[in-house]
Order: sequence, then C-alpha cells, then structure tokens
Amino acid sequence: MAQQHIASGELIDEAALTLDELARACSVETDWVVERIESGLLADGSPYVASWRFTSHDLTRARRMCQLERDFEAAPELAALATDLIEENERLRDRLRAAGLSDD
Amino acid sequence: MEFKDYYQVLGVAKTATAEEIKKAYRKLARKFHPDVSKEPEAEQRMQEINEAKAVLSDPEKRLAYDQLAQQYRSGQDFQPPPDWDAGFEFSGRGFEEADLGEFSDFFANLFGQGGRSGRGGRGYQMRGEDRHAKVIIDLADAFHGASRTITLQVPQVDAQGRVHSREHTLSVRIPKGVKAGQHIRLSGQGSPGIGGGPAGDLFLEIHFTPDSRYRVEGRDVHQTVPVTPWEAALGASIETPTPSGVIKVKVPAGSQAGRRLRLKGRGIPGPEPGDLYVELEVVLPPADTDKARELYETMARELAFDPRQRRGG
Repeated sequence: MAQQHIASGELIDEAALTLDELARACSVETDWVVERIESGLLADGSPYVASWRFTSHDLTRARRMCQLERDFEAAPELAALATDLIEENERLRDRLRAAGLSDD
Repeated sequence: MEFKDYYQVLGVAKTATAEEIKKAYRKLARKFHPDVSKEPEAEQRMQEINEAKAVLSDPEKRLAYDQLAQQYRSGQDFQPPPDWDAGFEFSGRGFEEADLGEFSDFFANLFGQGGRSGRGGRGYQMRGEDRHAKVIIDLADAFHGASRTITLQVPQVDAQGRVHSREHTLSVRIPKGVKAGQHIRLSGQGSPGIGGGPAGDLFLEIHFTPDSRYRVEGRDVHQTVPVTPWEAALGASIETPTPSGVIKVKVPAGSQAGRRLRLKGRGIPGPEPGDLYVELEVVLPPADTDKARELYETMARELAFDPRQRRGG
C-alpha cells in the first residue's frame, strides 16, 4: 500500500507573518493593515514597516475585524472595539473554565 | 445541486429594496455571527447569509439571478442552463475569490466563472487565495504531536470555464507544542492559482477538544488530583495521569484541599514550555463500616480539631 504523504506546515509565532502575508491571509490590501496599525487598532506599531511581524493572535484579530467591518459596514474603530470585547470575553471564559466554573 | 432561494435565506420579499436587503442582512449577521451567536450551526447559517447578500446586494448578479429564479423553486434540483448568464458582465464586486471556496456549489457554478472572467484576458496570472480551516485536536496531541486528515472543498474551473468543487483530502502533521488559537501554515495548499499563478496557503487554526479533566490557559495546564486525608496530612508520593502520561507527584505534608502544586515545565512543550498545575482535592473515605466509623470517632476524640475555630467563627 502506498504510504500517504503527510504535509508539514510552519507554526505561526515561531515563524511570524510579514505585512504582505498577513494582508493576503485576510484577503485585504496591505493598506488596510497599515491604516489599522497606524490608528492603533492592530498590533505591531514599531516605526519600521519593513520589520513588522505578526503573530497567530494578530491574524485572528485582523480576520475578525475585517469580517465585522464587511458584515456590518462598520467603521474600523467600531470593529476593533467589538473585537476587543470578544477577546476579553474569550479571556474571561478561559479563566472561568480554568477555575472549573464553566458549563462547557 | 439544489436551487437556493436567496430571498428566503434573508427573509425578504422578491421586491425588496437594496436598503431592505441590507437591513435584513445586518439583522441576521447580528444573530448568527459565529463570534457571539449561541445558535446551533451559526457558522453555516452565516455562510448562507453572506452568500445571499453577495448576490442580492449586487445589482448585476441580482438581475441575472432573478431571471433564473423565475423557473425554479427553493430546493428544486438545478443545473445552470447553458449561457444562462449571456448578456451579463459580472464585475466581481461584492465577493472575493476566497469566497468561492466558502460558498456553495450553487453560487460557485453561477458566479464563479463570471467573477473570474471579469478579471482579465489572456496571460492573466494571479496567486491563489489563502484559505482557512479549524482543526480540533486532543490536548495530548499538543504534548506528543499528531497527524490529522482534513477534507476541504476546492473550487476548480474546467475546460468549459464552469466551476466545480472538488474534495481535497490532506494529511497534516500537528507539531508538538501547538497552543489553542495558534495557526499552522501549509504553503501552497490554499486555492489554486489562476493562469499558472502559484497556489495560496492554507492556515489551520488549532482548537482543543474540551476535556473535563484538564483546563488549559496558553501553555499552562490545570488539573485536579484526588488524594486521601492521610496523603494530604502526612505527605506522599502519588501517581497521577496527565496529558503527557502518568507522572509521580510529591504531595507535601500538611497540604489542605485546594492546594495547588506547580510542576514547572510540565505543561505544553514549546520554546517556553508551560507549567502543569495540580490542585489537590481531599476525598474522605465513607464512614460506612463499623471499622471506618470507629476510626473517625477516634479522630474526633483524640484530635482537638475545630476548623471553624481557626476561622475565628
């Protein structure tokens, strides 16, 4: 029987994403990312754009913001605010779960 | 393939104005948004709603769809008639190439071809879109590494320019040390490129199967371990199962219920490995035999112990 090929990928965070890679993964232009970083809505913010690198968390956050902006035609600030609240909610749920106080 | 009634999906009349469609969409998007919705199958409903909006909020697509819809009912078996879209020029607005992979076959068949042909002529090359999927693994897989088989729907354009979706099955190695919420990037496993362009990447987002025995925070793992009163009071070396296998834990003498022991570096492995927190749960043996009752009575007599006094109660 032929041995099945198993694909190996890179773990994001150990290999961080560049600006182009993050934009592509969210199906947005790089300007979309740059604008949101310059407005303080998305991570990084180091002064050199070429050195910007993004984590798994940034990717999840950017995709969520992008989806909220698109689905509700929301202003970027509002989408970022909703994303902050969703992330906070997730953190609190994790803590509840860690304390054994969650139903799920 | 079934005919989809996009008006029914959004719950609007066929005569709905653009404003009414937008309003209905937002209301449903609020209800089924996967980040907040507690409705079952929220993700799938959101996909349908997005698809319906992509068609009905684009005047060109809506017009073409309306003409077609006159001959079909929702759920009816459907094959797009040849040249059904003659006379329409879809600009590709309102949906991205990436959506083709996420939308239904019905949508991809009707609008996939138009969306693509609208983008340019001969010699046009474009990198395929990146795609995203969630993979659920057991916590133990993060300790040891694992492989998972995932199946994705990949849109493909045939020689006639029609879009078909094809099942793409892929075996993926889940590396040791992965955290919940972390992504694995598989280069070239996303949507195929156009005109010989390279394929996009596939991002897999890792989630853990809920396990009532363990609670995970980042790379730290929490668990409770039942101990006897004498193990807690006198100290003991006990064996306990953990996600990485059975380990020995030293219970210090004088431990109370709820005491947390930190086993440094025994959490999820990685460049900065997490810790394993073991919380002691003191379990009393039942006083259901004469001997057991006698032992409890001896303790009551011999040990001058009143836990309420210690609290100042």
